[in-house]
Amino acid sequence: MKDELLEKLAEILEVDQVSINDKLESYEEWDSLTALTIIALADSDYNKKLTNDMLKEFKTIDDIVNFIIN
Amino acid sequence: MHLKFKNKKITGILSVLPNNEINYLDEIGNYNFSEKQSIKLGKIMGYGTRRIVNDNTTVSDLCAFGLNYLFENKLLDKESIGALILCTQTPDYFLPATSNVISGRINLGEDVICMDINQGCAGYEVGLMQSFMLLDTGSINKVVLLNSDVLSKKVSIKDRNSRPLVGDGASITIIENCKNEENIDIFLKMDGSGALSLQIPAGGFKMPSNIETSELKEDASGNFRALDHLVMKGDEVFNFVQTKVPELLHEMFDKLKIDKTFFDYYFFHQPNKFMLEKLAEKLEIPYEKMPNNICEKYGNGSNNTVPLTICENLGEKAISNSYKVCLGGFGVGLTWSLIKWKIDKLDFCKIINY
Repeated sequence: MKDELLEKLAEILEVDQVSINDKLESYEEWDSLTALTIIALADSDYNKKLTNDMLKEFKTIDDIVNFIIN
Repeated sequence: MHLKFKNKKITGILSVLPNNEINYLDEIGNYNFSEKQSIKLGKIMGYGTRRIVNDNTTVSDLCAFGLNYLFENKLLDKESIGALILCTQTPDYFLPATSNVISGRINLGEDVICMDINQGCAGYEVGLMQSFMLLDTGSINKVVLLNSDVLSKKVSIKDRNSRPLVGDGASITIIENCKNEENIDIFLKMDGSGALSLQIPAGGFKMPSNIETSELKEDASGNFRALDHLVMKGDEVFNFVQTKVPELLHEMFDKLKIDKTFFDYYFFHQPNKFMLEKLAEKLEIPYEKMPNNICEKYGNGSNNTVPLTICENLGEKAISNSYKVCLGGFGVGLTWSLIKWKIDKLDFCKIINY
């Protein structure tokens, strides 16, 4: 489940792969549209309600993964 | 809240769209984002063209134009109107009611009841509910429901969050008493604790407009807007829609003992293409049953989207055929609503330009 989520995040961020310690702000594609796409992914595929405020607090890929999977 | 009505029929729908068309791609230079980012956003959200009124055009202009078209083409008899209900959040004035203004402009008689309703995305369903209640008095046999907004005047040209969504327009729906014992079911919910998720902060009596409220300020994502402008917490609205609309639809299915195959069409409010697509996926309703082609062509006209969607997608077909439809709205208020009804052989169903 975690690998699948990492693959989906890589696709959204337009990179070949992501690793859990990557800083979110280091991605070129890290913007409000990416945030919305991740919010939609969390809802449709994992039934989790993610918000912009939460994403602003998140520092790394790991923070997103922990929220969505746990 | 579940409300039941009977013996009501829509006999015609006319949509009025301003001629002036704007293309999303022509506006991306206004935004504080790279061209590449804005093009990508446009593709995902489905931004195309929008219809926008000129600076001096108001809701009463669009509505009076449409009503005069109906009178001139003998599609509506002025003498038969018992009530004029206008749903809008962009009235001509704070007072008087814009429905009264329209009534004066088209010379309706003193026995025609005029009433404004302040609702947005769910305004079609709330307007229909009010129309049904007036028809149920027995004293009124025909209600004219107007759904119109000109919100383009209230979005900052430098706000990529809201500007690319908004379109203007009006729709006129004629509702009459008829003999049909089949239930019309309205499911309507409101959550005032989320009232400010979508708002225009200044310009009312809480925060009157002044020089400060007209100053453009940058938000955390890089959009510029003033307190006089519409502002939306897009993520909160998204989560609200994806949670509450499926819940209400399942409540409807359970109470009415029907399932999603019951309806020929789901004519839902269209906030933007992305959001309705996600909703259709969540509800597992095929895209062809939930038309989603208004935003990319005309823009999101707030309470005007549902009747416009019917005119765009049924058009002439609505004159000779009968369809089981689920009407749905969700947004500002927060308000969300569903109606189980029929679109059954209308006298007219078309779009005209202003």
